[in-house]
Amino acid sequence: MTFGKTAPAPGRIPWGPMARMTGRRALFAVPVLLVVTFGAFAIAAASPFDPVKAYAGTAGLTASQENLDQLRANLGVDQPLVSRWWQWLTHALSGDLGDSSVMRQPVTQVIGERLGWSVLLAAVAFVVAVLLGTALGVLAGRRTGGWCDRAISSLAYTLQAAPPFWLGLLAVWLFALKLGVLPAGGLTDTGSTEVTAGQVLSHLALPAAVLAASQLPWFVLYVRQGVADALDEDPVRGARARGLAPRTVLLGHALRSGMLPVLTLIGSRVPELITGALLVETVFSWPGIAAATVEAATAVDFPLLAALTALATVAVLLGNLIADLLYGLADPRVGFDG
Amino acid sequence: MRARSIRGTGALAAVAALAVAASACSAPGESGGGSGGAKDSAVVGIAYEPESLSPLLGYGKDGNSKIFDGLLTHDADMSLRPALAKALPKVSDDGLTYTYQLREGVKFSDGKPFTAQDVVFTYETILDKKTNNASKGELDALKGVEAKGDDTVVFHLTYPYAPFAERTVLPIAPEHIAGKQDVNSGAFTTKPIGTGPYKLVKWSKGEKLTFTANPDYWGGAPKVKDLTMAIIEDDDIRATRLRAGDLDGAILPPNLAGTFAGDKDRTTYAATSFDYRVVTLPTHNKVAGDTAVRRALDVAVDRKAMVDSILEGAGKEAYGPVPTDSEWFTKGTERTHDLAKAKKILDDAGWKPGENGVRVKDGVKASFPLWYKSGDKLRQDHALAYASDAKKAGIEIKVQAGTWEVIEPRMKTDAVLAGGGAPADPDFDQYTLLTSELAGDGFNNMAWYDNPAVDKAIEAGRKTNDPAKRKAAYDTVQRELVKDPGYTFLTHIDHLYVVDTTFGDLTTQVEPHDHGLAAGPWWNIEDWQPKK
Amino acid sequence: MADLWRRGGAGAVRRSTRAWRVRTSAVIMAAVVLAVLLVPPLAQLDEQAVDLSAKLLPPSLAHPFGTDDVGRDLLLRCVYGLRVSLLVGLVAALVATVIGTAVGACAAASGGWVDRVVMRLVDIFASVPHLLLGIFIVAMFQPGVWPVVISVALTHWLSTARIVRAEVLSLRSRPYVDAAVSGGASRWRVTVRHLVPGVLPQAGLAAVLMVPHAIWHESALSFLGLGLPTHQASLGTLVQSARGSLLAGDWWPTLFPGLFIIVPTLAIAGLAGAWRERLNPRRRSELTL
Repeated sequence: MTFGKTAPAPGRIPWGPMARMTGRRALFAVPVLLVVTFGAFAIAAASPFDPVKAYAGTAGLTASQENLDQLRANLGVDQPLVSRWWQWLTHALSGDLGDSSVMRQPVTQVIGERLGWSVLLAAVAFVVAVLLGTALGVLAGRRTGGWCDRAISSLAYTLQAAPPFWLGLLAVWLFALKLGVLPAGGLTDTGSTEVTAGQVLSHLALPAAVLAASQLPWFVLYVRQGVADALDEDPVRGARARGLAPRTVLLGHALRSGMLPVLTLIGSRVPELITGALLVETVFSWPGIAAATVEAATAVDFPLLAALTALATVAVLLGNLIADLLYGLADPRVGFDG
Repeated sequence: MRARSIRGTGALAAVAALAVAASACSAPGESGGGSGGAKDSAVVGIAYEPESLSPLLGYGKDGNSKIFDGLLTHDADMSLRPALAKALPKVSDDGLTYTYQLREGVKFSDGKPFTAQDVVFTYETILDKKTNNASKGELDALKGVEAKGDDTVVFHLTYPYAPFAERTVLPIAPEHIAGKQDVNSGAFTTKPIGTGPYKLVKWSKGEKLTFTANPDYWGGAPKVKDLTMAIIEDDDIRATRLRAGDLDGAILPPNLAGTFAGDKDRTTYAATSFDYRVVTLPTHNKVAGDTAVRRALDVAVDRKAMVDSILEGAGKEAYGPVPTDSEWFTKGTERTHDLAKAKKILDDAGWKPGENGVRVKDGVKASFPLWYKSGDKLRQDHALAYASDAKKAGIEIKVQAGTWEVIEPRMKTDAVLAGGGAPADPDFDQYTLLTSELAGDGFNNMAWYDNPAVDKAIEAGRKTNDPAKRKAAYDTVQRELVKDPGYTFLTHIDHLYVVDTTFGDLTTQVEPHDHGLAAGPWWNIEDWQPKK
Repeated sequence: MADLWRRGGAGAVRRSTRAWRVRTSAVIMAAVVLAVLLVPPLAQLDEQAVDLSAKLLPPSLAHPFGTDDVGRDLLLRCVYGLRVSLLVGLVAALVATVIGTAVGACAAASGGWVDRVVMRLVDIFASVPHLLLGIFIVAMFQPGVWPVVISVALTHWLSTARIVRAEVLSLRSRPYVDAAVSGGASRWRVTVRHLVPGVLPQAGLAAVLMVPHAIWHESALSFLGLGLPTHQASLGTLVQSARGSLLAGDWWPTLFPGLFIIVPTLAIAGLAGAWRERLNPRRRSELTL
C-alpha cells in the first residue's frame, strides 16, 4: 500500500489500457463464475438439509415416507449433482435461473424484486460512511495524538470490533422502543399496499445508519493515516515552511494527497459491505437480497443459492475492477497490468 | 374461549407507556381507529406463510381458508356446520357412504358457478399420485367421489371411518381454472380463485398477503373490506411492529404478549388449544424405553412450573394428547409433581445412584439425548426445564439442537421435544402418534410406542360412530398412557393474540398444533362488526 | 483486526500512550484467559441449569449481569460463551494459518504454473464474501462447534497464503538462501529448512490477528441461526436469544455479550499491534478486518 504520493499530473485518460484491463477481467470472470457456482452446488448437495422437507413444510412432518418419495421425484432433486449444475448453467445462459423452492418464485423474479432494495440500502450506507468517515478521518489525522484523534480513533476501533447485528439491536431498542422515533423494521408500513418514498425513507434510516456505522471505522482510520502521512511528507512540510496557513496546507495538500488512494480503494470494500448487509438486513427484516440469502442457505434452495453466489461474486469482481481502474488512474506508476 | 389478559405487572407499565408513545408516532392514517367511520381494514401479523394457496396442495385442509369454502366448516365451538353443502351429510348405516346436498347459487369469485364437478375434481386431484400434497394420507379411507347431478356429491369409503365428515372441511377448488394447469406449479398455486369471503389481491412472498372482501359472498359481504396478513416469522420483530402501530393484531409468544398487558387499546385473547409439547421416549432406547424410567420422568417433571414460567400462565399441564378441559379427557389420569415418588420408582426398579448423581442399572447409565428443533425457543425452554427436572431424579438428559433433517434419522433411539394436537377429533392425532403400525413412519409415532391395548382401543375408536363406545376407547388409551408413558406430555399451550380494541369483542376457536393463517381471533373476520 | 499505532513523529506522550495501551491489553487478555480457563472447573456450576423462578432478574450483587429468561446467570453464561467463542476462534485461526502457510509456501517454492494456478484459485476463493461462503459451508453440516470452526478456517486462510507467499519470495532472494541453493540443497529442502522458519513470525502474527476475526464470524453465524445451537452459550447465541427480552425492555441480556465480543477484540488488537510494530518496524501499518 503506498500512501501520500503527490497526486499525479492531470493528463489524458488512458482509455486503451483501461479497456484492455476490463476485457481481461471479464475473461477471468468466466472461470471464476464456473468454479463458484459449481462450488455452491457441490456444497448444497453434500448438505444434510432436505429440500423435500423444506418444500413440504409443517405438513411434511406427518406425511408418510411414500408421499415424501413421490415429492422428491416430482421436484427433481434426486438427479446427480453435475447434471443439475450443467442444466442450471445452460438455462442460466438463456436467462432462466430456475425456480426458487423457498420463495416459490422464479429466481430472476426474486432477485429483481429484492436487488433494488439491497442496492439502495448499501448505497446510502456507503455514501454516509465515506462522507462521515472522511470528515472524521481528517479531523483525527490533522493532529495525531491529540484528544480529538484519540476520541475518534477509540470510537473507530470500538465500532470496528462491535458486531453490526449487536449495533442494530441496540439501535432498535433505543430509537424504536425507547424513543419511538423510527420504525423497527420492514420496508413500508404493513397496512399499505403501495410503496411511498416517505415511508421507505423512514424505514431506511435505522438500517442504513447501522450499516454505515459498521463500515465507518475503515474509512476513518484510513483517511486519518493518509492525512497524517501526507502532513509528514516533504512537499507539505515545504509548504508549511513557506508559511502557508495551516488550513490551506491541510485542505490543499494533505487532504488531496492523503485521500486519493483511499477513494480509489473504495471498490474493494464490496465484500465487507455484503457481509454487513447480510446481518443488517436480517436484524431489520429488510426485504433485500442478503436476507433472502440466509433463508436460501437454511433451506438449501439450490437455484437461489447458486444465483446469489454468482451475483455476489460478480459484485466483488466489479468492485475490484473499479478499484484497480481508479488506482491506476490515480497512480500512473501502477498502470493497468492486473 | 376468550380471556382478557390480566398478567399486568408494575414492571410492564413502563413498557406499556412507551408503547402508547410509540403508537402515537406511527405513520398517519394507520390504525387510527377513531377517525370518523368504522374501521374497515385490518392488518394482522402471523408467523408462518402458507407454502401454496392451492387447496389441492394442502392449503386450508383443516378448514377456514378465507379464499375458499369447504363442504362443511367449524363454528366457534368446533362443531361442524354446513358451508358449501346445504346441510350436514347423510351417512349410510354401514358408515361407508357420505352424501352431501350442495348449496345452490354459489359462485366462484370469477363469476362462474360452483358445481358438484368441482368437488369431485378437488378430491380426485388430491388423491392423484402426481399431486405434491403431503397430507393426502388424511383421506386414506376415501375410495372414490361421485357427482350425482349438479348438486349432490357422494363419498365412498373403504372402511367406516368415524370422523370422515371432519375431513370434508377441506376447501374446494374451481375445476375450470385449476383443472387446466399443472397442479403443482401452475398459477393457481399463487393466484387462487375460490368461493370464500375474501379474494386474494396480492401475495408478496415472505412479506404479506393482501385480501379484499368478496362482495358477492354467499354468506353476505364482510364488513372488514381490506385484510392484510403480514408474514413475520420472527416473534420479536412481530411484537415490535405491533407496538409501533404497524399491525392491528398479531400472534405472540407469552413473554411478548405480556408486554401488552397494560395497554388499554389492545386486548389479549388466549385461544385454548390441543397443541401439546411432548417428549418422546423411544422404545428402542435402553433408558428411555424402560417403563420405570418413563414412569419416574412422568412424575419428576414439574409441569406447573413450565406453565407458570415458560408459558407465563398461558397454557395447561398436559397428561396426554387430550387437554384436561376437553370432553374427551379421562378424569383421574392427572399426575402430580412428586420427586420423592420418582426416586422411589427408580430405586425399586434397580436404578441405583452412581457417579455425579446419575443412576445406573446393570452397567447402563441413566442418560439419553433430547433433541429439539433448532431455533424453536419454546421447545428449547421446555427441553431445558425437562432436563433440569430429570437431573434432580438422577436421570441425565443431554439437550441437543438440530434441524428435522438431523433429528429424523435419530428418532428411533433419541428423545425428541415434539409438538402436535388436533381438536376436531381424538382420532386425528392419537392414531398417528400412538399406533404401533405407524412406528417410525416419518413423523408418526416418533417414540415407536408399542402397546397392544392402545392399538386395539384406537382401532375401535375410529371405526364406530357410537359416542359411548368411542369415549370408552379413548379412556382406555389415556389410562394405558399412565401405566406406560412412552411420551412425557408436558403442556398444552394457549395461542396468544393481541388485537386492537377497535374491532370489538372477538372470539377464538379451540386451535390445533398447526395453526394456519386463519386461526386466531380473525378465524371469523368476515363476521366482524368494527366499532365506530 | 486493526492495529495502527502510527509511527513517526514520535513523542514522549505517544510512546507512553502506546505502552499504556499494550499494558491494558495485556491485563485484559490475562483476565480473559484466566476467567475462561478457571471459572468453569472451579465454579462447578451447570450453566444450563434452569431456574424458572429467577427469570430476567436485572443486574444485582447475586447476578452481576442479571439472569436470562429461563433464570440462568448471565455472567456465567457470558464466561462460558467467551470460552466457546475463544476456542472456536483459536482453533479456526490455527487451522487457517496451517492451510495458508502450506499453500503459500508451496506456491512460492514451486513457482511457475503451479504458483499461478494456486494463486488464481486463491483469487477465486477471495471473490466470494467470507460470511456468504461461511454460511454455505455451515449449511453442509449440522449446527455445532466443529462445522463453525471448519467454516471459519476455510474462509480465512487466503490472506495468510498471500502473506506467506510474498514473504517466501522475498526471503528467497536473501544471501543465505542463495548459498544453500548453490550448495546443492533441493528446492523442497530449502523451503522447509530455511524459508518456512523464516515466515513463521509473519504467519504467527497473521494467526493472532485472525482470532478476533474468527470470533466475530462465529458470533455472526450463530446470530443468523446457522452456527451453534441456541441453548449452547456462545457470544453469538447469547445475543440471538436475548432479542425477545430486549424488546420487552430488558437490555442486560443483549448488552453484556456484545461487550464480551468488543473488549477482548480490542485487547488482542492492541497486543498484536505492538507485536507487528516490532516485527515490521519499517512497514506502514495497514488495516485489516
